[in-house]
Amino acid sequence: MFAFTKKPHSAALAFIIAGSVWFVIGTIYGLFSAIHLVSPEFFDNIPALVFGRTRAVHVNTVLYGFVGSLSIGLGMYYTPALLKRPIWSEQLGWLSFFFWTLTVLSGPLTFSMGMSQGREYTEYLWIFDISLVLAVLTLAINLVMTILRRKENLLYVSVWYFTATFLWVGGSYFLGNVMWNPPSGALPGILDSIFHWFWGHVLPGLLLTPMAIGIAYFVIPRITRTPLYSHTLSILGFWTLVVFYSHIGGHHILQAPMPNWLKMISVVDSLFMFLPVIIVIVNLWMTWRGRGGKVLGDPAGKWIALGLFWYLITGAQGSLQSLPDLQVITHFNNWTVGHAHIAILGFSGFIAIGGLWHMLPMITRKKLYSQKLVQIQFGLVMAGLTGFFIVLTIAGLIQGEAWYNGEVIYRVLPQLNAYMVLRAALGLFIITGSLIGLYNVIMTIRKGQPVDSVEQH
Amino acid sequence: MKMTPKIFIIGSILVWAASISLMVIFPWISMEDEPSDIWTPMNEKAKAGHQLYVNNGCHYCHSLFVRTIDWGKGAERIARMGDYYQMQPAILGTERTGPDLSQEGGEHPDDWHMAHFINPRYTNPLSLMPSWEFLGKEKIEQLTAYMQHLGWADADKRMARQEKWKKKAIAAYEAGPDSNITWLHQQVPKEWRNMPNPYPATEPALKRGENIYENFCLNCHGPVGDGMGKAAEYMDPPPLNFTTLKRNLAEDKYIGGIFYYQIMNGITGTAMPYFKRQLESEKIWDVSNFVAAWFVGYSDANIEPKGIDASYEPDWENPYLEDPEVQSEQDARMEENKNKEEVSK
Repeated sequence: MFAFTKKPHSAALAFIIAGSVWFVIGTIYGLFSAIHLVSPEFFDNIPALVFGRTRAVHVNTVLYGFVGSLSIGLGMYYTPALLKRPIWSEQLGWLSFFFWTLTVLSGPLTFSMGMSQGREYTEYLWIFDISLVLAVLTLAINLVMTILRRKENLLYVSVWYFTATFLWVGGSYFLGNVMWNPPSGALPGILDSIFHWFWGHVLPGLLLTPMAIGIAYFVIPRITRTPLYSHTLSILGFWTLVVFYSHIGGHHILQAPMPNWLKMISVVDSLFMFLPVIIVIVNLWMTWRGRGGKVLGDPAGKWIALGLFWYLITGAQGSLQSLPDLQVITHFNNWTVGHAHIAILGFSGFIAIGGLWHMLPMITRKKLYSQKLVQIQFGLVMAGLTGFFIVLTIAGLIQGEAWYNGEVIYRVLPQLNAYMVLRAALGLFIITGSLIGLYNVIMTIRKGQPVDSVEQH
Repeated sequence: MKMTPKIFIIGSILVWAASISLMVIFPWISMEDEPSDIWTPMNEKAKAGHQLYVNNGCHYCHSLFVRTIDWGKGAERIARMGDYYQMQPAILGTERTGPDLSQEGGEHPDDWHMAHFINPRYTNPLSLMPSWEFLGKEKIEQLTAYMQHLGWADADKRMARQEKWKKKAIAAYEAGPDSNITWLHQQVPKEWRNMPNPYPATEPALKRGENIYENFCLNCHGPVGDGMGKAAEYMDPPPLNFTTLKRNLAEDKYIGGIFYYQIMNGITGTAMPYFKRQLESEKIWDVSNFVAAWFVGYSDANIEPKGIDASYEPDWENPYLEDPEVQSEQDARMEENKNKEEVSK
């Protein structure tokens, strides 16, 4: 009955298809939320579409569903491929898929009914927290076992990043979600914010970032057909990532009443966080040096190169934003929303999509249904996201400066209107891009021309 | 360095463990949850409201802590750690599409909150907040209880003040429209009662005032100023009907200063909020002139007593002056000004 679960790469493909579907659903929920900020009575008294609920669905679905599922699927393909050994257990992979997807699916279902644990990025209900941790643990076991039974002696840098992700995330998620306290998923008092924002930054930092870097390290040298520039840089990047990224959650609550030593560590390490960012970018830059045209000419390579560009901006912005003097203006407003979009969609999302178009033919052994659609999708999402970044950053500065000058929040709202309209309109570009992507994935699987397997390695 | 499975698997876990020890476990051990000077326990209704606040994502637009750099509501209290004692979760928030709520308790009476949750634009026409009418009356009351709890002991003080004045305001309202206005006027210091609007009610000024009226006042006091806005049905006492003011001018001629004072300070106990943190001087005078000119049919703009005319002020004749005595005073003054100008030429 479950014979399909034994087919090679079938679990990876399931994750990839799910990720492509979540991209569509997640961004549509983003549009619902954006419309609220343009016209709060557009969805009047429709409980499932009220802003406080759609925003939670949007954020969690794009984080865990779209970027998460897609990156996991790709990692489950390239890790065994780099180790020259099939994944330890394809069926265990399916089990991970089941648990992970169950959690993501619970978002639209429970949040829409007003059932949520509330804390940002830790909204999933306890029972679905458990299924997410089970997904992570099963993935960790599967990956470690595959490594132990590998045929290739050398562990390539992508393997470190992808495997370590699941070594870090299980425990971090458990801690950050205060899973030993099922009803609230929180601790009493202000201490809870430390747990909350520890996970708040481990989520992008130790879940989405290493998976994205793993994909970039896998795809770029394959496109340029040059060896990775520096092993030393790879090592430095890997260890600095886990050291600095796990210390900086406090910069989200810098202006709240928190112990000063914690704030200080958060700010200092936030500045150091630029180190792993720049290391990865330099390493890949040097790898494609002289062959940049090849990267940008390749439909998948373009996504990844631009993903790294967004990584550079996100990283620089993230470090600077942690400075208390800058945060005086940028905290609490749309500046941060702009930052979040280039981090998740721009950096890890772009790279996951690039990885998808590079690896889908390898996984399915079929040529992409349409390279042109990949280009169109790139144009749409790039335009949408660039616009988002500009519009939200301007809106954020307007808010931040006005508040700092003593203007109250209520009176600044009308000034945001034009930007919120633009933002909702730009969202349509991204949603269209996600639909084109899903169509291309489905058509490749159903109608793609078979490729010669010799071509692959 | 070669990355063997042993180094990278064990190493990754060790570095991670070191990080959480410092950043999570150490604060967990060392930080003590102790109540602050203003902390008070939450009652059951407020607890239910807190749960609704968390479950429905209110914190995506509202924060729960005031910073040293903040202006506006609640800025009299900078958040302290102990304010959140036992709150679970103390959901601080990351975005301010709406105002900070950590000191919301007692800012408005319960009836204001009912109208506001039913449709936020009833009380705040510019608001981007969604309507929560679908939650039903009981849950809205729980949310309101939570709002009124925020601010703890400070909120309790404000609530006591709301309740005290609500009784008086209702009694005054029930005594009939004219004695209600007499009572309202009595709450304004004498100096303000006998003060005319110092800004001329020119066409542009009335336009500006109209803009303010639409953004702040419209849905309580209504499009024709009769106090029959959409929010009115939720409010006790209901919003003031401006049209009854004409026969109740102070000393038969003043109304500007009363408007200014009431708009600035609000009327605690009623749904009329204070606007002194949202609107500054000229905006309040302009909207006072607008309400006076449009709904009362009379403005005391620019009449005596007044000081030296501001340099920008146009030669504006108050068209509302029917009282011959006031009229002649005004005329005499204008004549005098003219003479002065001629002399100086």
